[in-house]
Amino acid sequence: MLVAGDETAARRGMGDNSAMPLPETALAPLDVPGSRPRLAPVPRIRLAAATTAGRLAARASRLAGRGTGTAIQGQVMLKADPQALAKLLHGRRIAMVSGTNGKTTTTHLLAASVGAALVDRGWGGPERIVHNADGANLHGGIASALSKKPGADIAILETDERVVADVVRLGRPEVLVLLNFSRDQLDRHHEIKALARAWRNALISAGDEGPIVVANADEPLVVWAAKEAKQTVWVDTASTWLQDAVLCPQCGGTLLRIEGEFGKTWRCRDCELAEPTADYRVLGDKISTPDGSLHDPRLQLPGKFNISNAACALAAAGVLGIDPDVAIAGMQTVTSPAGRFGTAHFGSTTARLLLAKNPAGWAEALPLVATDTVILAIDSAAADGRDVSWLWDVEYEQLAGRRVIATGPRAQDLAVRLAYAGVDHVCLPDLGQAVVGHTEPVDIVATYTPFQRLRKMGGLA
Amino acid sequence: MSAASSGSDKRVEVVLIYQSLLGIYGDRGNATVLMKRLAWRGYDPVLHVVEPGDPLPETGDVYLLGGGEDAAQISAVKALKQDGSIYRAVDRGAAVFAVCAGYQILGNTFTIGDDDTVTEGLGLLDVTTRRGPARAVGELLGRWIDHSGEEQWITGFENHGGYTTLGPDAKPVTQVEVGIGNDGTGFDGAQNGTVLAIYPHGPALARNPALADHVLELALGTTLPPIDRPEITELRRQRIAAARS
Ligand SMILES: [Zn+2]
Repeated sequence: MLVAGDETAARRGMGDNSAMPLPETALAPLDVPGSRPRLAPVPRIRLAAATTAGRLAARASRLAGRGTGTAIQGQVMLKADPQALAKLLHGRRIAMVSGTNGKTTTTHLLAASVGAALVDRGWGGPERIVHNADGANLHGGIASALSKKPGADIAILETDERVVADVVRLGRPEVLVLLNFSRDQLDRHHEIKALARAWRNALISAGDEGPIVVANADEPLVVWAAKEAKQTVWVDTASTWLQDAVLCPQCGGTLLRIEGEFGKTWRCRDCELAEPTADYRVLGDKISTPDGSLHDPRLQLPGKFNISNAACALAAAGVLGIDPDVAIAGMQTVTSPAGRFGTAHFGSTTARLLLAKNPAGWAEALPLVATDTVILAIDSAAADGRDVSWLWDVEYEQLAGRRVIATGPRAQDLAVRLAYAGVDHVCLPDLGQAVVGHTEPVDIVATYTPFQRLRKMGGLA
Repeated sequence: MSAASSGSDKRVEVVLIYQSLLGIYGDRGNATVLMKRLAWRGYDPVLHVVEPGDPLPETGDVYLLGGGEDAAQISAVKALKQDGSIYRAVDRGAAVFAVCAGYQILGNTFTIGDDDTVTEGLGLLDVTTRRGPARAVGELLGRWIDHSGEEQWITGFENHGGYTTLGPDAKPVTQVEVGIGNDGTGFDGAQNGTVLAIYPHGPALARNPALADHVLELALGTTLPPIDRPEITELRRQRIAAARS
């Protein structure tokens, strides 16, 4: 019987893939369909009951107007069967993506790549893939997504930073993408290094059973965690956000930024930790692959940071044995991952929705703002972080000259920030009031909670 | 009055110390606030952003310290002691304003890490910090008596694991109505002369313009005319209500 408490037996139970001829990467690539057993025929009665309980809860939540109910469904399911996540993960081939910013988009890009590869080879298509596409990325959200597609043998999972260790342990993913680490919600995560340490420890305990890690070589904390993986594919993402990485995570020494062949690189002054040589590189709006060829992703998504996300997705697709051109063709179908960059309509107003969850996210989003009137929506619900001190780490000064509308429950905090930034603004805390009546298109940048509300109000969810 | 030494009596130098170490969450906002409040009054403010390895300016009027993680606290203390300039600044009457971890390192000793290693601070405030029974996270509201004897509310967000005890040479800044403050016994912050520190972290001065002006007045040795910004008044009303709810 398969239970999460007896993982070794579970592993052995998956058994016969040791007899499979493996390629040089020691991975069964995607082009061997069914290379792992499908969802194992283990006792699933309790799980089935848990799934039903979860569905009922989700429907109740939807009826009560509290969102899609995905996370609640998963929570109820996990309460009914604490092993549900382990069981749901079991027997699937798993790729997962984590990091502070960009994980929803990168997961969408990777899922689209895998879907394109399956179609390209004639081995099915998206029906084989389960993906928590709505961005519900904690235990419950992942369990809920998996329960909806029991037959899908490939799981592409966006995973919250705090859940990475559990999914690595329970699901034995083949590839783990680690994007970046920045300060986010400090009222909950007191030290970002503690999160990096959890990733690192998960990879150390997984050992040879662990995933191949695709990691952002620009970020010292990510490198420190990822170098413990059995194998790492490094991506030079050409990141520009450096405020959150100052001290060496390995020795506490000072990190030096030095000019290298491909722009800025970093190394520790006091120990050997240094930026690894990249396998994939972001070069302007193009991406170079390990064979030295240059690819132009031509995404439908705006912004340099999405080229970085695409580079990481491309590297992960490479680990799964997917040809870069096929992967990119898949990525080009992605338009609005979980509402991001989507066009919403509020009465006669047409608005583009941008999500920015923390200073690094705002630094990416604000330069994309292209409209004369811009709406900024701020909240401090649990999902946004209760503390809005981060407003002072964002360069709102760059909005000077535009008409800014501050909205959301913490609009007044933003209004004070804008006053000190010398940016003219009006403060309309009510979201509905802020978004209606614009004759020209507007860009809206929002923190998590108002973003989700605006998605629904604007017909994007 | 230190501003006079710089040649123009309208020039005021604000020094933002080690943002990379002590700028964990919006702490630079305190510099933004001071600079703007000086500019609004016709001063000619100059901002120095100093990183470890670079010398602190000897002509600063206000020195600002923000919050940071354990390892960063140690590095900051080491670099500031090596530099030495902050001691000379206090001796010549410049103001020092610190929040959160910056407050802790101004003290005699503080603890870091899971094993609570006792670490020596800068010794500019007569306080000691030890790990508290529970992390203090949330809105803080405290009563502050300004120099004219008027009662003001200090509102902020605290997030600290260390609890701070005051020695005889430090006096608390506020009487806490909501929150933990120094150690849960009813007071927050410490002041000794022109050195002033509180637990509300990040851009604490953004919500507390009277305290911001008080820091400037400590530095300049003058009284500043009030500035009325309705958006700040409204924010204070909201945050004070939120702290009490
Ligand atoms: Zn080092």
